[in-house]
Amino acid sequence: MRARVSWLALCAAVAVVAAGCTSGGSQGSGSGGHLTIGTTSNIDTLNPFVTFQQNSYAAFEYIYPQLVQYNDQMSDFLPDFAQSWKTSSDGLTWTFDTAPNATWSDGQPLTAEDAAFTFNTILKYGDGPAGNLIGGLANVTKVEATGPNTLVVTYSVPAANVLPQLQGLSILPEHVWSQYATGDGKALRQFPNVPEDGQPLVSGGPFELASYTKDEVAIFRKNPTFYGTKPSIDGFGLQYFSSDDAMVSALRSGQIQAAINLPPTAMNTLKGDGSLTVYDGPGLQFRDFIINSSPNKTQNLELLDPKVRMAMEYAIDRDAIVQTAWLGYAKPGSTILPPAAGVWHDPNIQPLPYDIDKANAILDAAGYKRGPDGIRIANGHPMDYTVLFAKDESGAGDTAFQIIQNGFQQIGIKITQRKEDNDAVNTAILGDNNTYNTFDLAMWDWYPCCPVPDFILSVVLCSQYGSWSDTGFCDQRYDKMYDQQGVTRNQAARVALVYSMQKLLYDARPYIVLSNDDQLNAWSTGWDGFVESSLGLFNNLSKASLTQVHPA
Amino acid sequence: MRRTDYVIKRIFFAVMTVFVAITINFLLFRALPGSAVTNFARAPHASPELRATLTHEFGLDQPLWKQYALYLNQLVFHGNMGISFADNQPVTSELAGKLKNTIGMVFVGTFLAIVIGVVTGFLAAWRRGGAVDHASTSSAIVFYALPTQFIGMMLILLFASVLPTAGMRNQVNAFFSGGSTWSNLKDIGLHMILPAVTLALTLFGEYTLVVRSAMLETLGEDYVLTARAKGLPQRRIVVSHALRNAMLPIATLVALSLGFIVAGAILVEIVFSWPGIGQAVYEAVATRDYPMLQGAFLILTLSVVFFNFIADLLYFKLDPRITE
Repeated sequence: MRARVSWLALCAAVAVVAAGCTSGGSQGSGSGGHLTIGTTSNIDTLNPFVTFQQNSYAAFEYIYPQLVQYNDQMSDFLPDFAQSWKTSSDGLTWTFDTAPNATWSDGQPLTAEDAAFTFNTILKYGDGPAGNLIGGLANVTKVEATGPNTLVVTYSVPAANVLPQLQGLSILPEHVWSQYATGDGKALRQFPNVPEDGQPLVSGGPFELASYTKDEVAIFRKNPTFYGTKPSIDGFGLQYFSSDDAMVSALRSGQIQAAINLPPTAMNTLKGDGSLTVYDGPGLQFRDFIINSSPNKTQNLELLDPKVRMAMEYAIDRDAIVQTAWLGYAKPGSTILPPAAGVWHDPNIQPLPYDIDKANAILDAAGYKRGPDGIRIANGHPMDYTVLFAKDESGAGDTAFQIIQNGFQQIGIKITQRKEDNDAVNTAILGDNNTYNTFDLAMWDWYPCCPVPDFILSVVLCSQYGSWSDTGFCDQRYDKMYDQQGVTRNQAARVALVYSMQKLLYDARPYIVLSNDDQLNAWSTGWDGFVESSLGLFNNLSKASLTQVHPA
Repeated sequence: MRRTDYVIKRIFFAVMTVFVAITINFLLFRALPGSAVTNFARAPHASPELRATLTHEFGLDQPLWKQYALYLNQLVFHGNMGISFADNQPVTSELAGKLKNTIGMVFVGTFLAIVIGVVTGFLAAWRRGGAVDHASTSSAIVFYALPTQFIGMMLILLFASVLPTAGMRNQVNAFFSGGSTWSNLKDIGLHMILPAVTLALTLFGEYTLVVRSAMLETLGEDYVLTARAKGLPQRRIVVSHALRNAMLPIATLVALSLGFIVAGAILVEIVFSWPGIGQAVYEAVATRDYPMLQGAFLILTLSVVFFNFIADLLYFKLDPRITE
């Protein structure tokens, strides 16, 4: 009896203490409240010269000034630190008028000099410590602050992508960073750039970074000295979760108030939860089936045959992939610029329908006869291939592979999955001395950085052999168009060029784009004002989302 | 003399084990295709020039033997585990913070497991063949067989509305709302409940079965029969004679378990987003962060070797016959 009473008392105590601990408490003591956003992608470092992670760049968007930012539709640019800008008639000189009387969070003046220092540091160390940022200053020959509020950037060619490129560069406080921008510049990469001794990071954005614990949480507090529209909230935290399920549970129980990059498997549950607002919109990420297009290929050369590639696309059931693998939270793909890329996506390119009979007819006509086991014979060997499968694709990608495998089986092509970690797949794709001579097929994805097409169009350039290229594709016509679109300042003409590039690529089929991921976010109904985009509610494109959010 | 010989031998084997483990740790990750730099191949900001720079900065352009010599030199003579490839910060300080987080949670989980395992194993042996025995043995086998992550997920499903399911503390609330040391400690304690209980449920079955088996063996010994014949009370027979003699395998198992305290929590830390060394290993594997992996595996190795050594000494102390 005594034992029973003790157990009851213990259970009651745990329940009372637990109940006291898990209440959200998100409104906080300040007027605007605070909230916690969950993510399964961590901030690897807060040093802009070191990081590669999307969430690090998103954090910089909120703590540092950028010259410009995207509008809510991600289709044009709005003022940020630069209040206005103009271009010279030859397109080589860009003049930005920056916000007057701005200050950093520590009270030091924030001027065009800080922007000039940052850009010149990147230019100076671009072939070394600043290598991860130099792409944003491609073709820049000179940067100078001609006054406290005037920044002049000079280009060697009339570049078409100046604003998207500069939008990606955060302006750093010169009085903090100048001591590291000396000598060989290695110190730039060694500076941890985290809040220390209770002091926030010197910030110039709408928030200052007040606290950071790696692989746990980054806490952002409203920056009262911000030059732009002040945030409504007192601050927010970005909490890292190493498991989707734990994040979803935390969201549902009110431990966090919003979550980004949710898994499709959680969506139906979340949609049924009345305390949550769920966002399901078009995303930039796409999943692809790669066919090695390298002329250096030494075996299974039939895979270079356009008819085989076309038959393969006919045998892929994109709708089944979307409905079964992605539970409906994706869209069938067509080109490497998904609809979320806005004006750059070519809507005229329609993927081939799922048609096994048509695929078989194409292969029959091309002379690929079936062997006794039903597998077709090409150049004396069975059409039996290994598909390199990147770990990133696990889960929904496994199901997608099975659907493709089933379709291919019906047309006499056998494929086998070889699942490896991303780096191992990349190494296998590159082949001997980066010649792409060995692999046949692969499944992976791309996550374009932003709505503008420059980066994603570049991954199939001949110059990307051994680098971003994962297809071995190389076509001088394509490369020429890429160079041309980069200096075509007329938007309509540039769009036409980008369409032509997509068409060329679609017809050549180094990629068969399987699906475009939806952007899946959710937040408590107690909050309102989030600005959604193809990169989610917390992104590196605009300061709008977290400055506009407020308690409902 | 024999005792000294024994200890010296054990120390020698421990040092050799650590050295071999260090070497294998170094070679193992480099034997995989790719490297920390090619791992950046799909990052939009990683230009070929940058990757060349990083290859040089990380020392990956050096011959393997030279990388190994540099690593050993830094580790042995300077106690320096290197610089993390992921964030360019010293591995030693990063791992120290993670280790602290892991030890707290895993110690609680392991302690719970030992207590539950010893008590249920003891009761099962004492009441052999009865309901208590069946219940203890069955539950031990079931939980021992269940994967850690499954138990963790079930606990999250069951307790998500009443207990924190992820992280080590609610830093955001504490920051904006303020909080006393006591409330912060309470917060950590509450966040620790589910991962520690998961670990305890995963581990206790092994203790139950070993304790039960050891107890049954000693209960059948002649000296227990003699004690019964002398008319000693049952409690005294079981506690003073049977349990005491069953301590040898139990103590060894406990010492060995403590060695795995650091390594044993990787899955638990991933499921509950606990920011410990297991989670650090997981992240480092994904990014091919060699220095971080080498440092983490060195700590795991040292932990296992140290507690094995303690187990050896304990064995020696509990059973002096082994030197005879």
